Amino acid sequence: MTQEQTIPLFEEVVNGWNKLSLSGGVKKESSDLRRARQSAFDKFRELGFPSIRNEEWKYTNLARFLKDEFTIEGWEVPGKTVVPDAALVKKAGITLLDCYQIVLVNGSWDGTIGGGTLPKGIQLLKVAEARQDPALSVYFEKQAAWGDQHFANLNAALFTDGLFIRVDAGVTVEKPIHVIHVYTSESNLLVQPRNVWVVNRNAELSVVESVVSGGTAKIWVNGLTEILVHQDARLHHTMIQTAGAGVRLVQQTTVHQHRQSLYNNFTITLPGADLVRNDLQARLEEEHTESHLYGLYLAAGHQLVDNHTLVDHQKPNCLSNELYKGVLLEQSTGVFNGKVYVHKDAQKTNAFQQNNNLVISKKATIDSKPQLEIFADDVKCSHGSTVGQFSEEALFYLRARGIGEESAKSLLINAFAFDVTEKIRIPEVEAHVNELISLHIPVNHA
Amino acid sequence: MPNDNEIIDNIANKEYEFGFVTDIEMDILPAGLNESTIRYISEKKKEPEWLLNWRLKGYQSFQKQKLPEWQNFELPAIDFQKISYYAAPRNKKKYNSLDEVDPELLATFAKLGIPLSEQKALTGVAVDAVFDSISIATTYKDKLKELGIIFCSFGEAVQEHPELVQKYVGSVVPHSDNIFAALNSAVFSDGSFVYIPKGVRCPMELSTYFRINTENTGQFERTLIIADEGSYVSYLEGCTAPMRDENQLHAAVVELIALENAEIKYSTVQNWYPGDKDGKGGIYNFVTKRGICKGANAKISWTQVETGSAITWKYPSVILQGDNSTGEFYSVAVTRNRQIADTGTKMHHIGRNTRSRIISKGISAGEGNNSYRGLVQIGPKADLARNFTQCDSLLIGDRCGAHTFPYIESKNNTATVEHEATTSKIGEDQIFYLNQRGIDSEKAVALIINGYAKEVLNQLPMEFAVEAQKLLSITLEGSVG
Amino acid sequence: MLTIKNLHAEVEEKQILKGINLTVNAGEVHAIMGPNGSGKSSLASVLAGRENYRVTQGEVIFKGENLLDMSPEVRAREGVFLAFQYPIEIPGVSNINFLKTALSEIRAHKNLPPLDAKEFLRMSREKQKLVEFDAQLVNRSLNEGFSGGEKKRNEIFQLAMLEPALSILDETDSGLDIDALRIVSKGVNKLRSENNAFIIITHYQRLLEYIVPDFVHVLYDGRIVKSGTKELALELEEKGYDWLKEESREKATTI
Repeated sequence: MTQEQTIPLFEEVVNGWNKLSLSGGVKKESSDLRRARQSAFDKFRELGFPSIRNEEWKYTNLARFLKDEFTIEGWEVPGKTVVPDAALVKKAGITLLDCYQIVLVNGSWDGTIGGGTLPKGIQLLKVAEARQDPALSVYFEKQAAWGDQHFANLNAALFTDGLFIRVDAGVTVEKPIHVIHVYTSESNLLVQPRNVWVVNRNAELSVVESVVSGGTAKIWVNGLTEILVHQDARLHHTMIQTAGAGVRLVQQTTVHQHRQSLYNNFTITLPGADLVRNDLQARLEEEHTESHLYGLYLAAGHQLVDNHTLVDHQKPNCLSNELYKGVLLEQSTGVFNGKVYVHKDAQKTNAFQQNNNLVISKKATIDSKPQLEIFADDVKCSHGSTVGQFSEEALFYLRARGIGEESAKSLLINAFAFDVTEKIRIPEVEAHVNELISLHIPVNHA
Repeated sequence: MPNDNEIIDNIANKEYEFGFVTDIEMDILPAGLNESTIRYISEKKKEPEWLLNWRLKGYQSFQKQKLPEWQNFELPAIDFQKISYYAAPRNKKKYNSLDEVDPELLATFAKLGIPLSEQKALTGVAVDAVFDSISIATTYKDKLKELGIIFCSFGEAVQEHPELVQKYVGSVVPHSDNIFAALNSAVFSDGSFVYIPKGVRCPMELSTYFRINTENTGQFERTLIIADEGSYVSYLEGCTAPMRDENQLHAAVVELIALENAEIKYSTVQNWYPGDKDGKGGIYNFVTKRGICKGANAKISWTQVETGSAITWKYPSVILQGDNSTGEFYSVAVTRNRQIADTGTKMHHIGRNTRSRIISKGISAGEGNNSYRGLVQIGPKADLARNFTQCDSLLIGDRCGAHTFPYIESKNNTATVEHEATTSKIGEDQIFYLNQRGIDSEKAVALIINGYAKEVLNQLPMEFAVEAQKLLSITLEGSVG
Repeated sequence: MLTIKNLHAEVEEKQILKGINLTVNAGEVHAIMGPNGSGKSSLASVLAGRENYRVTQGEVIFKGENLLDMSPEVRAREGVFLAFQYPIEIPGVSNINFLKTALSEIRAHKNLPPLDAKEFLRMSREKQKLVEFDAQLVNRSLNEGFSGGEKKRNEIFQLAMLEPALSILDETDSGLDIDALRIVSKGVNKLRSENNAFIIITHYQRLLEYIVPDFVHVLYDGRIVKSGTKELALELEEKGYDWLKEESREKATTI
């Protein structure tokens, strides 16, 4: 049987495409963008939704998540904004953080900016507008850009809105931009935000994203973020995922790095969403780039948290450093799949990758698959992966100082996470993350 | 001191020293595979009906399966109809003694360094020699018999110990396991059979030597080793083939069964013809090897030195079913020219307190590609299971590749799994240091490589460790990165 | 304060303590000496409640209660402090946060409210001074990257902070240079009082020049084979342990 017959979302997507491709909004787009949409849709139609037979989805079975019906939103009335629930926005807020605040509701932004006026040299736009702007549509119109990636093709075909950020050359934006993604609905929904961020030569920007959800319905978020970090530019990017039950979050982030650029990523996933799949791809396209990818996943309930990363070393003299740490509670499943790919030309590559997992509960599962594919010889590459429990020695030491077993364990979980959290450069964000971690760790003070 | 390019060319041009052909009359089945091929083989070997039926089931699974698609290299098309599935030296009947063996054959094995007459044989090693499809001779058989140890060709075991064969064949690698195992189940010609009775420690190394000789044949041997409760055996296999322009298929199956408190040590020195420097010819070495620690405290240890074959595809694995059982995998794989080695292991932790240890050393030179692919799986009942994996890759020259694909699956929170891997080029400073102490670069590389592989080579039985070291040095002679 | 009666214990099915008898009263300092492998550190581990040690016979009464029934943390809260021979490094757990947690738990056990931040800080500064512990180390991760001497000093700093009734110093002198030894001993001497007691486990007499014990016991093959005053330590220094080994062997054969 074809997916069209078995997966309700597939049918909805096909219907959605038929309507979208004829809609007024799309007709205003450049012909190249429309062609890009068509080719992405054809590709998705050919690929369908991934099954576990696909190596990249081996441990992430979507079958139980794809049983539900979802409706596509946004293709007819792009930018139709739901008023965000104040409590949800507050929940995502970061205490004491001096920042510009943007709220996207189901992938659309109403244009308001909290935290003061933006300085010169940075533009924030709705993608609903940017995609129709002849000067900007170039960022969306690359043909066959997404290869065999199921969800990226689906987004590239059907996206209507999202957040466009551009920082001009030489501009350092002092305050971070806090982007709050609120997903909320009373009926099952497929949302496909598309974000494009461009940090031009020698510019610097910090973005903190928070994902929260409300409402009673199930929401499938298929997000696609494309980031360009130009020569000598620096982007610090933190993603904090705290969406709740009912949310299936599939987020691809593709970063293109140019000469001597720096990209820092922190991906923090906390208990809540049914499914989280992060695909983070750092493409080191020119020499002397530096990328740091840090991840922390705390999974609980029946949650499935899958972090896929790709560090694509295309050119010589680049450095990449990756550390993902996972804590698996209750009946959760964690997946880590990290690939470091070193091309023939990429001599003098330094690439490090580490994945550590603490499996706390008897019923939790972890699947870890770090990979090195290396085609250059003058390289220093290493990876490691561990699965284990608390160190008995450490636990005894703490208990011998009068700290109860449960508190000792929660101290050790915090310590385990510390290697990642301490690297977050913004102290208020670090404190916020630590607080979120403590919230989810079973602490049983006597 | 030669420059890098000269040195790399040097390795590429290194001749394969076992590439000669033995001229001997053979019974060769015409190329092609169908049910009657299988019936022919079974009849030729006077097999009981259950075995024929089992072969036919294997053939059915083979027909249903497809060639793998997950590899990171392009698998050349294999035409299974162009292979001959049976080739045996033409001879009246079974050899009763070595005197009856064709002198040409004895000479062949002597040339390979495997003298089959017991006076000249390696002391402390019993050898079963397999030439194309057929076991030629097994040495020290009688001596072993006194201890109750059965060491004979697979064909002989089918005739003389059918109950053991029927009980265990396919019990670790089912006929449907994968396409090559299925093919083997259908057409396997011969191989070795070992049974070590309860409480017996086999006093000598057991060894099988495989030789592919005839053109356009495949070699499909099957090895079955059973170590009964409290017994111990160390087993070694070696292999070579003539230089030919066509690729030849070797699809063997090895099954190991270790019962309670038993230990099996299985070592391989694989030196099949690797093809020439342009990647022409060479053996496709697609082998399924798996052992099961059936009882408590059992231990299975795989050691392999892989230097030959155009493509190697094998994952000697251990099913750790018995509580406190141990699985080990030690591997050195060298690829040069256009060789591809995709090898590793699978450790399935099922029982409580099971342990596994994986040490893999890959060395890539020329345009060779070397992949470690391994699975460590911890089941929900494998409390306190432990695994340690270390994979190192060494690159020599800038046209080769080294890849690491570990899979870790844990369903038990009391388990500890540790995987570490590094990739680096051969150390120029190390070579320089040795140069400075008066050692030339060729010797320096040999020293470094052997040091690098030591942890694995140390696992080999003493008689073969020296051979393996020599083989590594020859394979990479003169390589400086 | 502490009464050990006929204590037998094993680790990995190996008998390691074979009948220890010892009484420690408040205000006393006991030194336990003995050759390597005699069971000194095992005794410390058993008293602190390390899980792989199994008590097979005997009892330990601490302040009138059965110590062996308590979990490691309850022992600590009741006032048993073990200065570890090899203090563990726990990256990510800050020294100060760890101490705050430990102190609050111990105070809660005594039905005392936790110290407020200011009081805690004042106490921490005072004790740092007392044991000459570097303020910068206090803010680092627990023992991470500390030198051997710094780790041992941290143990004494914790001792000062937690104010236990009974402190067991397990080879605290091992790996210390003479200056560090002096600092550690000075700290311990300042902390000695009528209300607390110390068991000092050491291989060498050296430490006992700085911390003068009231009693010295020699442990050999899982038993206390000789007890005496501080003069015994000097005798041991002079003669080594061999004469005691022979004596105990003779004893064993005559029994």
